[in-house]
Amino acid sequence: MVYPVEVTGLVKRFGNTLALDGISFRVDEGRIYGLIGPNGAGKTTTLRILSTLILPTQGSARVFGRDVVHEASEVRKLITYLPEEAGAYKNLSGYEYLQFMGGFNSRDGADLKRMVDDAAKISGLGDRLKDRVKGYSKGMKRRLLVARALMNKPKLAILDEPTSGLDVLHAYHVREIIKRYAKEHKVTVLLSSHNMLEVEQLCDQVALMNRGKVIVEGTPSELKSKHKAANLEEVFVEVAGLA
Amino acid sequence: MPKALANIVTKEVKEMVRDPRILLGMVLAPLLIFPLMGFMLRTSTEAMQESLRIVPIAIADFDHGAVAENLTDFFKSMPNVKVEIFEAQNIDEVAASAQASNVTSVVIVPEGFSKNISEGKKAELKVYGVFRSGGIAESMTYSATQNLVELYKQKLINEKVQTRFPANSTVLNPIAVSQDSIIKGKPVEVNPSALFSFTQAQSFGLPLALFMLIILAMQLASTSVATEKEEKTLETLMSLPVNRFTLLIGKLAGSTLVAAIGAIATILGVIYYMGSFAFGMPAQPSVDLATIGLAPSLLSYAILGVSVFVALLAALALAVVISVFAEDVRGAQSLLGFVYMPLLIPMFVLMFADIGTLPLGFQILLLALPFTHPMLAARATITGNYFIAVLGIGYVAVFTLVILYIAARLFATEKILTAKIRLGRKKAKQE
Repeated sequence: MVYPVEVTGLVKRFGNTLALDGISFRVDEGRIYGLIGPNGAGKTTTLRILSTLILPTQGSARVFGRDVVHEASEVRKLITYLPEEAGAYKNLSGYEYLQFMGGFNSRDGADLKRMVDDAAKISGLGDRLKDRVKGYSKGMKRRLLVARALMNKPKLAILDEPTSGLDVLHAYHVREIIKRYAKEHKVTVLLSSHNMLEVEQLCDQVALMNRGKVIVEGTPSELKSKHKAANLEEVFVEVAGLA
Repeated sequence: MPKALANIVTKEVKEMVRDPRILLGMVLAPLLIFPLMGFMLRTSTEAMQESLRIVPIAIADFDHGAVAENLTDFFKSMPNVKVEIFEAQNIDEVAASAQASNVTSVVIVPEGFSKNISEGKKAELKVYGVFRSGGIAESMTYSATQNLVELYKQKLINEKVQTRFPANSTVLNPIAVSQDSIIKGKPVEVNPSALFSFTQAQSFGLPLALFMLIILAMQLASTSVATEKEEKTLETLMSLPVNRFTLLIGKLAGSTLVAAIGAIATILGVIYYMGSFAFGMPAQPSVDLATIGLAPSLLSYAILGVSVFVALLAALALAVVISVFAEDVRGAQSLLGFVYMPLLIPMFVLMFADIGTLPLGFQILLLALPFTHPMLAARATITGNYFIAVLGIGYVAVFTLVILYIAARLFATEKILTAKIRLGRKKAKQE
C-alpha cells in the first residue's frame, strides 16, 4: 500500500548534533497528521527532509511511494511546504505573491486564475490582497502563506508550525482553513506544532517527538485514554518522563 | 524564456525596483553623487578662476630709481594684474599694509636696485607671499607674481641682448621646437600633452564607474539571496517543482537587469562628472580623434560592452556564492566586505600604471582578477589591442562559469540552507 508519507528509520546529523535518531511513522491519505513536541525535538528537520530541502543521513522517507532523495523532483510536484515563520516578498502585493507562487504549479492562465481566486477566498484577506505584503500584520501574512500552500490542492501539504506566534483570532482562522480545506479537497496534511492543545483539536493522528525520537503515536483520543490523561500535554509529560 | 524563469525574473525585477534602498543606492545616488561632485568641482574651479582674473599685487619701492619705476610700469601694463603701491619706510610697515589690504604678494624693490642694474651688477628683488588661508587660489596668485617677475627678468635680458646683437633675432630663440605624437606606429601632428590629458581623463572615469557598478551589483545579488534565506522564502521556492538552476539563473538575470539600469545611471552621472573635470583643465588644442586614428570603433565599443557584461556576471555569481554562506542580509554584507576590497582595489593600480610596466608577479595577480579585464578592454578602445581584450573576455567567461558551477552545486544541495560562516556570533540551535 502507498502512503502519503512513509518514514522509516530516519536519521539526520548536523556535524556532531544528532537531530533525528531513527524515527518511523506513516500518514494515511486525507488525514491531518501532527508532529508535536518541544523546540529541538526534530519536527522541522523531519519536515525539511520530506520537503526535499535537506538529505537524511540514514533511513528512508517516501511521499506517495516516491523517495525524497532519489525522486526529489517528483516529490516536489506532489507537495507544498510552509516553513515556520516564513515571510513573503515584501514589495509584492498579496495578489502578486499568489500569482508568482501559483505560476510554478499552474497549467495555464485559467488554472492560475482559479488558484489565485481560491487562495483569495481561503485567506479571507479581501481587498487587502491588493496591498503590498510589507504592510501586513503577522497574522495576515500567515493567512496569505497558508492560502498559498493550499491553493493548488496539493496531494500533501507540509506545514511547519502554521499558527506559531499568531493571536487567538488569527490562529483560529488558520486552523479552520486547514481543517476545512483538508476535508473538502481530500488534501493530506502533515503539520508540526509545539502547541499540544491546538494539535488535539486539529489532527486526526499525532506523533509525540522528543530529542529526535518519536516517543508515542496514535489518535489524540487513543493516547489520552491509554495514558489516562486529560489532554496531550499530560500524555507528553508522562511519556517523556518529565513527571 | 521558459515560463518558470520568466516568472522568477519578473518577480526579482519587481521586488528590486520597488525597494527604495535599491532605487536610492543604484539609480538616484549615482545620478546625484557624480553630478554633485562635478558641480562642486566646477564651482570651486570657477571660484579659483575668478580669483585669478585679477591678481592683486603690491609694490614697495625703496629705490625710487629709473629701473624700479620701469618695473612698476611693466607690472601695471600687465592684463589681469592690479598693482597697489605701498608707501612704507620698512618691512614691518609693508607687512602691516599687506595684512590690511587684499594683496596676495608684495614685491619689494630695495635701495640700489636701479643703480646695480645700470652698472651691470646683480640686483636684488624681494617677493613676499601674503599667507592667509593657504588655499590653492592663494598659491596660484602667488605663482602669478613669480611669473611676472620672471617675465620682467626676461625683458631686461632681451633688452641687453638686443643692444649687443641688434640684427639677429635667433640669438634669443635659437631652436624652434614642435611637439607631435606617434600613434599606432604612425606620426601624427598632435601635441602629446593634449593626448595624454585626454586619455588620463578616461582612465579615471571608467574604473570609478565600474567599481561602483560592481559593488552595487554584488550587493543586489547577495541581498536578494540573503533576504530569501532570512525570510525563509528560499525554502519555499526550493520545495517547488522548479529546477534549482532555473532559480539561480532567474536571480542572476533579475540582478543583471537592475544592475544594467544602475550602470546607465552611473555612466550618465560619470559623463556629467567628466565634463566638469575637463572644465578645470588648461585649454588644449582640440584633438579630432578620428583623424589621428584614436576614435573608438564600433567593434571596440562592442568588445568593451561584452567585457563589462561578463565582469558583471562574474561579480553577481560570486556574490550569490558568498551570500549562500550568510545567515541574513547583515551577514551577507559583512562577508562581501571581506571580498570586494581585495578584488577591486588592485584594479585602481591601472589608473596610474600600465600593466606592462608592473613586476611580473603583480601583473599575474592583476590578470587573475576578473575586474581587471574590462579596464584593459577600455584601454583597447584607444590602443586597438583587441587581442588582449578578447582574451580577457574569454578568461572572465571561464571564471564566471566556474563560479556559476559552484553556485549551481550549492543551490542543488542542502548547503544553500545549512552552509554558514559565522562572524563571531553564537551557533544557532538546529531544530
